[in-house]
Amino acid sequence: MSQRGNTGPSGTPHGQGATAASPGWVRSWDRFWFTPADAYPLAMVRIGTGLLLAWASFVWLLDIEAFFGPGGWLPSHEVWRMNDQPWQWSWYFATSSSAVRMALGILTMIAGLTLAAGMATRLSAVVAFAGLVSAANRAPLNVFGFDDTLGMLLISLVIGPAGACLSIDRWLQGRLYGSGRGGQQPEQGGPLQSGSVSANVALRLLQCHLCVVYFFSGAGKLLGASWWEGTALWGAAANGQYRTLDLTWMADMPLLINALTLTTLFWEVAYAAIVWPRLTRPWAIGMGVAVHLGIGLAMGMMEFGLAMIVANMAFVPAATWRRWTAAIGPVRVEQVVELSSPGVG
Amino acid sequence: MVSLGLAVHLAAVVLPPLASPPPASLLANQLIQPLRPYVGLLYLWHGYRFFAPDPGPGHSLRWSLVTAEGVILDGSIPDADSDWPRLMYHRRFMIPEKLSGMIPPIDAPEEIRREARLDWGPLVEAVAAELLSRYQGVTVSLDMVEHYLPTPGDIIDRRENRPAAAPDAWRDRVTPLGTYALTTAAEPASSEPASSLPPAALDVGGGR
Repeated sequence: MSQRGNTGPSGTPHGQGATAASPGWVRSWDRFWFTPADAYPLAMVRIGTGLLLAWASFVWLLDIEAFFGPGGWLPSHEVWRMNDQPWQWSWYFATSSSAVRMALGILTMIAGLTLAAGMATRLSAVVAFAGLVSAANRAPLNVFGFDDTLGMLLISLVIGPAGACLSIDRWLQGRLYGSGRGGQQPEQGGPLQSGSVSANVALRLLQCHLCVVYFFSGAGKLLGASWWEGTALWGAAANGQYRTLDLTWMADMPLLINALTLTTLFWEVAYAAIVWPRLTRPWAIGMGVAVHLGIGLAMGMMEFGLAMIVANMAFVPAATWRRWTAAIGPVRVEQVVELSSPGVG
Repeated sequence: MVSLGLAVHLAAVVLPPLASPPPASLLANQLIQPLRPYVGLLYLWHGYRFFAPDPGPGHSLRWSLVTAEGVILDGSIPDADSDWPRLMYHRRFMIPEKLSGMIPPIDAPEEIRREARLDWGPLVEAVAAELLSRYQGVTVSLDMVEHYLPTPGDIIDRRENRPAAAPDAWRDRVTPLGTYALTTAAEPASSEPASSLPPAALDVGGGR
């Protein structure tokens, strides 16, 4: 997994051992997973994830004893009722002092910030993941989709070279080795390179995981009559406990409710199919941004919406990211043609 | 070897939503058994059924607490006015949302309610204990409130000052969960040292 970007003499990506004589599916598998890729999208995911985790940690800290203390909303000896103990571990199970709990909460928040900055990126990602999982497993009564999504994002950041660009690590490497600033030069030395097999693996895992999330979320909705009737969106909009934006004016527009509900349903069920081809990918991602921003604004779950948007960012090609970032700031844009951007079609 | 690892990881991503929540197949539940440590380690045990199968009514826990001085405090979990920032509101909102799935409706058969209480009872006692310790209360009464989810017709009727079409429109369903008083834990129930065990809340009546 730590293998760096390596291309064959002809520029053809190496796989994990597939040869011309290997069956087609083996070669496809190798190409899908082990083609070196530009880590730029992973860096964008890293920045968003780190900031969201830091914010989540800050909010836990505001009432930390109620969430992670021996008593609180769910005492530690009752946690087994809510999840699959003993496999769902937490460092908060091992703490006996409120000072230590506070320190661990602050450590997670700092890890989120350093992850966003790309400072000691791999270590930050590991600590951030441990902090997130510890919080979620200690307080299962208080977690929701936001935490699930952060976990999914952090797994990829632990695996891939998320600090290979747009990071303090990269800047320091440039100072030490005198090579690329924020760019990528896969054949050059140095501890960080943005084009690598592990970047591809990390992005692929995140992409596949996101497809699984949407597929099961959509498939679960197919069990509900209100999704078939096209009224489910009303159920979400009229729920006073979620509502942050009054959408009850839609009561006069049943066909609009139907259209929005069915569009959401079809998009979610089809996401895993339409996000891969180049032709439909912008629509799949654009719809995702609209749906998640809508949920964030109307139902007050902005953190969850943003986390899902960050996950969708893994599907945006590196070249697109580089073009966008070059347009908004003095980020050096370097194209390395032999690297792929994860995505097919 | 890396490919094998990737295949195992993908299985650990796909199997949890297949195996839970119900309805789920026996096959998925059998296949996930050897992966449980890995799924637990990486926090992958999720169903991803957001707003499925149907977006339902919202819930809150309504509480009324009596302090040692005889002052009565009322509140709700969550509380949109005091639970800030919004993420804190959602963290607390999850308490009634998750408990509501364990508490049968008020008109459920006695046997079902008694069995369900074995599951939700300790969790509600913990919430009661937290409230009592937070507000220095002597007793606290808790109700699960299922908030009425208005239909588009309800909204239009109300806006036009027409009487509600359904007799139970705009009525929240309230399930009393009991009145609790603070006591000390009788025996350690975990690996925590006895001295660090939190005070427990004991149901002193009114629960179902």
